[in-house]
Amino acid sequence: MAINSDQDIVTARQKGRALAMELGFSTGDATLIATSISELARNIVSYARRGEITLKIVQASSRQGISIIASDSGPGIRDIRQAMRDGFSTSGSLGLGLPGVRRLMDDFEIASEPGRGTMVTVKKWKL
Amino acid sequence: MKTDTQRKTKLPSTFEEEYRSAFGECAQRGGEAALSRAYDLGRRAISEKKSLMEIASLHHQALHGMLADAQGAARHQELLAAAAEFLAETLSPYEMAHRGVQDAIVALRQLNETLEEEIKRIAYAVHDEAGQLLVAVHLALADVARELPKPQKEQVGRIEELLNQVEKQLRRYSHELRPTVLDDLGWIPAIRFLAQGVSKRANLSIQIKTTVVGRLPGPIEIALYRIVQEALTNAAKHSKASRVRIRIGRKNRLFCCSIEDDGVGFDVRAVQSEGKRRGLGLIGMQERLNGIGGTLSIDSARGRGTRLLIQLPADVLHGHPHRAGR
Repeated sequence: MAINSDQDIVTARQKGRALAMELGFSTGDATLIATSISELARNIVSYARRGEITLKIVQASSRQGISIIASDSGPGIRDIRQAMRDGFSTSGSLGLGLPGVRRLMDDFEIASEPGRGTMVTVKKWKL
Repeated sequence: MKTDTQRKTKLPSTFEEEYRSAFGECAQRGGEAALSRAYDLGRRAISEKKSLMEIASLHHQALHGMLADAQGAARHQELLAAAAEFLAETLSPYEMAHRGVQDAIVALRQLNETLEEEIKRIAYAVHDEAGQLLVAVHLALADVARELPKPQKEQVGRIEELLNQVEKQLRRYSHELRPTVLDDLGWIPAIRFLAQGVSKRANLSIQIKTTVVGRLPGPIEIALYRIVQEALTNAAKHSKASRVRIRIGRKNRLFCCSIEDDGVGFDVRAVQSEGKRRGLGLIGMQERLNGIGGTLSIDSARGRGTRLLIQLPADVLHGHPHRAGR
């Protein structure tokens, strides 16, 4: 789904939470999933203005999980290592932003090309 | 045309007003939009440095008001469920930040260990490698001197004298960086050795009194040595003190080490919050002690000298390290 306004963020959160509950995640985990969606969407809106969030159910051998893909064709990130370092964003606190999302979720992948855009893929597995 | 005053709803400004308003919306209509607001509020709370206690109290008051106004057990149940969701959402940014801080602490401890290894390596390089080079220089000078007439021979002799001093100093620095005494005889002899050096260089009288003997587990000895080293460096650099007293002993079930100077003192809070070298030094001491289960209290004020008190549970003396690293 497209992300370019606060309303879109709300919709993405709602769908993410509903999917998480459907898969049997705890309410607490569903909250953390919604939080990750907010952080990723916030990144899209503030750095690329518009982008997309895709939610998927993922399956691996015996477990099920949820995957969130946040992509945009914005300016991209020149130095990913720096972007993943705590306290480097404008968030004003240690541990928010992308590094925060990495800690809330189980899997985290980021790909970015300056001038082409950014794609962040995160997964949370059901225990 | 609309003007600001014609708008019916003026946006709430303070965090507290905004919290009550969003919480009210959540309780009335529920829905993701209200939860999304809760999340934004959590982030705002972090940037405004609200404590979790403040949020808990604000939440409790708001909920209390709503429950008092609501009719019927079913509505109360609804309100409680909405309140739980709303609070969890507000706190989720704190959860993120908390996990970040936990990771940072682990990283800091690992960094400390890496630094300790690095210091060992440098101390070795200064002592052994530089020492060997100096020996080579001595031999080369002796070769040169053999061919020279007497007055120049004497000049070379003076150069050799200076080289001897360089060697002595290097040896001294190397030992202070990572004293072999620390490994061989323990942290108290190591501190005595360090104090001698600092005392000479900074023209400071340093008195050490101890009522404990015996060795502590390795990581604890290293931590204590580093903390006393930092304290002595501070005393020599900043305090303008003329005397330092170090007392080491046991008190009930606590093992105590105090370092006291008669210098100019400092404003503890200001220095700790300024994040400069000295503030970081104090935080570093505290962090090292946390790593071995100890605490540090700092007592100082402008014009009153400084007293650092290190306390550890006494069972570490018998080699039962409490959460000792590694």
